[in-house]
Amino acid sequence: MSVSPRQHWIGVLARAQLNELQPHEAALKDAEYQLIRAPEIGMTLVRGRMGGDGAAFNVGEMSVTRCVVRLADGRTGYSYLAGRDKLHAELAALADAHLQGSQPSLWLSDLITALATAQAKRRAQKEADTAATKVEFFTLVRGEN
Amino acid sequence: MNAHLLQPAFVDPVLDAQRGFRAALKALAEPGLLQHLPSAPRLDGLAPATYALCLALLDMDTPLWLAPSFDTPLIRANLAFHCGCPLTDKREEAAFALLGEHDLLDLSGFDHGNDRYPDQSCTLLVQLTDLESGRGLHWRGPGIKTQRLVNVPVPQAFWLERQRREAFPRGLDVVFSAGHHLIGLPRSSRLLEERA
Repeated sequence: MSVSPRQHWIGVLARAQLNELQPHEAALKDAEYQLIRAPEIGMTLVRGRMGGDGAAFNVGEMSVTRCVVRLADGRTGYSYLAGRDKLHAELAALADAHLQGSQPSLWLSDLITALATAQAKRRAQKEADTAATKVEFFTLVRGEN
Repeated sequence: MNAHLLQPAFVDPVLDAQRGFRAALKALAEPGLLQHLPSAPRLDGLAPATYALCLALLDMDTPLWLAPSFDTPLIRANLAFHCGCPLTDKREEAAFALLGEHDLLDLSGFDHGNDRYPDQSCTLLVQLTDLESGRGLHWRGPGIKTQRLVNVPVPQAFWLERQRREAFPRGLDVVFSAGHHLIGLPRSSRLLEERA
């Protein structure tokens, strides 16, 4: 399944950490905008499939925060993210709106690429940490006969 | 998607929705008594009170039937976004219907509930230009101590049409709205024709 550029940046913004977005807060808010849907916290049901292709079952509920903003020129930005951080949701929605503008490359290089790199690094670090704890199981031939 | 048509709705989604629900509840509990909804948002084509009712009452479980006069891209986009309610063009499927003054003469097709579940009937949200310029009629029934003089400007034929559809406990509940005000007309209210 191919991921459109917008899907990619919305995902990156949702996984970003607030302290990575905050340096851009002034730039993001430097435009006239209104909140179509003010940041709000809700619950969503996460479902999963055993082994990826089994019957669907309910894993549990998680909190999500969502927000929709509209800039003065009519572009609307959406955000959905895990957790309860309203400021993060608003900044992510603003970033989505700016990225749909006439100069998305500026925002892409400034913001999204940096965020994506940081996320990849975090992920690699975590995978490396986890890999160190990997245990290989094997069975010795029992010496009964 | 018509994202450019979207407008902000309630300023305080939780409390404003509760106020809207409370107003609808009071309107139907005390038929004919004017209810005030000061904090309602505006949307072109819908009175603030009508829009507040929609935002408070509609969600993904309540299919809505829109009268042609309300079926604009603006209203469609905002109801879909803020309420998430499915829109239906079959009257039988609707849990709520949004009507204007001219749609009152034909109430055929709406769900009247059944004898076991009369509460499953369709609720009509009727937007009028005002609620006090009509001919005075006396209402009586549950929620009214003796009788109440109400001046809702609806055509005479509406009352006949309503009576024709009535088979208590089945029937249609109506909420009239105009500007920032509401008046409820539950199926249990009866008319006492004004003499003179």
